[in-house]
Amino acid sequence: MQRKGPQISSVDRPLPKGKSEVSLSAFAFLFSEIVQYHRTRASSIAELERRLEDAGTGVGVRMLEILSYREKGNRREIRLQGILQFINTNIWRCLFGKVADSLEVYNDDEYVISDRSPLVNRFISVPKDLGDLNCAAFVAGIIKGVLDIAGFPAEVSAYYAPVEGQIHPRTNFFMKFSPEVLDREARLGT
Amino acid sequence: MSQDIDPLDLEWRNRAVLAQEAGVPPGVHSLWIINKSGGLVYHKTYADIPHIDVNETMRLASMWHAIHAMSIQISPVEGCTGIELLETDQFDLRCTQTPTGTKFFVTAAPKTLGLEHLLRSVYDLYSDYVMKNPFYEMEMPIRCELFDTNVLSAVRNHNAQLGNY
Amino acid sequence: MAQRPTAPRGRNPEQTGQAAWMATEKVNAELFTLTYGAIVRQVLHDYEDCVEDVNKKLDSMGFDIGCRLVEDFLAKTSTTRCGDFKETAEVVAKVGLRLFLGIGTRVGEWNPEGTECVITLDTNPLADFVELPEKYRDLSFSQMLCGVIRGALEMVSVRVTCEWARDALRGGDGYAIRLL
Repeated sequence: MQRKGPQISSVDRPLPKGKSEVSLSAFAFLFSEIVQYHRTRASSIAELERRLEDAGTGVGVRMLEILSYREKGNRREIRLQGILQFINTNIWRCLFGKVADSLEVYNDDEYVISDRSPLVNRFISVPKDLGDLNCAAFVAGIIKGVLDIAGFPAEVSAYYAPVEGQIHPRTNFFMKFSPEVLDREARLGT
Repeated sequence: MSQDIDPLDLEWRNRAVLAQEAGVPPGVHSLWIINKSGGLVYHKTYADIPHIDVNETMRLASMWHAIHAMSIQISPVEGCTGIELLETDQFDLRCTQTPTGTKFFVTAAPKTLGLEHLLRSVYDLYSDYVMKNPFYEMEMPIRCELFDTNVLSAVRNHNAQLGNY
Repeated sequence: MAQRPTAPRGRNPEQTGQAAWMATEKVNAELFTLTYGAIVRQVLHDYEDCVEDVNKKLDSMGFDIGCRLVEDFLAKTSTTRCGDFKETAEVVAKVGLRLFLGIGTRVGEWNPEGTECVITLDTNPLADFVELPEKYRDLSFSQMLCGVIRGALEMVSVRVTCEWARDALRGGDGYAIRLL
């Protein structure tokens, strides 16, 4: 879209249709540099994961705004199942080109979205001395950002889960929702 | 059986057969990757060949780096890319140097086909699973599990395709 | 791992770039754009909004990326050594920027000696839908891209200076990179 003359403010420009792409390599190199950047500033594995989560939160917030408008005509999800399905399906498909592998309930306030091989980890081999560091903490942050801005605050973390018959573990994104979310769900009825 | 045997074909059969009779394992033997300063960053064996002590492998890599550089220096015309093929009675060595100065070479049974293609695949895998790995430090030894498993796959595929196994 | 088709060598950089782009695996540009925005915000925060330091840091991060990215570029495009700076600029623009960012470019505004040119970008995925607040008016938001080009070329022994000639975020007409 050529812009000449006076600047058109970005709020007046039409939203992108989401069809433009860059190479996976470009994203992988950018993400690798981001991991390295945060690694030099973190004093522990836990802190590195937290920093990556924070980095992802901003992405999640903006992604929900874009998708809400583009795919749902600005209709808000007000039920927990709704927002979870939205993340599992719409968010995942938009960002990673596929839907998440599964969405499971652990408890009233605990849910897990799982991905056999998160895109962000595609080229990453974590050395043994970094234990079970999972760079998909970035994606956990994306989920957290989406949930926060949608009004479903939760703690979100990423961890490896072994899969029977598979060499590489899958990544589980564990979401623990705040009591206020559960209260609201109860008030709105099952 | 035809009486007209192509001399090159004969040489091919001779070297490969003689090597096999001498107990040289078929297919790909080893992969070496040397950084631009001559330091060994990767060395893996894929066949039953004699073990070389790790310090010795570093010395050998450094020597290869020097010999390779020499081959470029003594070439009669500018633009020489250095030694690409080394043939001995017991093995072949195929080498490629990238424009960035990184060298990849494989050793294999004499007259093993498709080694240039294998080296290109390895370079491809290097650019994916080493370069894009945030935990890999440039010019240092490569310790990337995904690189190991993918290269092993590539070597196995290569051997299988050529009917070595 | 599935056999990835190698990008066929086209007759000229434009063709090589297009072919390489067709063959490469792609992701949604929004993921890239938003992730880039996140790191810029982080660096601004860590360097306490000191725009000059942030510009330098983004450039050096780009340089580090470039040193690695060049291997991917060479592996995927089988590019051999360029004959001269003109060819280098064409390859950077038509093959490099196309392969990684999927964008069209034009190389022009050459100086008489052929040592300086400007690469005009059709679009800039790093800065899509970004607006700079007044306090960041001197921020070179997309500086990382200049660092990437500089780092990549450094690894093949081509030393360049790379800067934004035109930056739409700072009032310029579109996006263009000066290479010298």
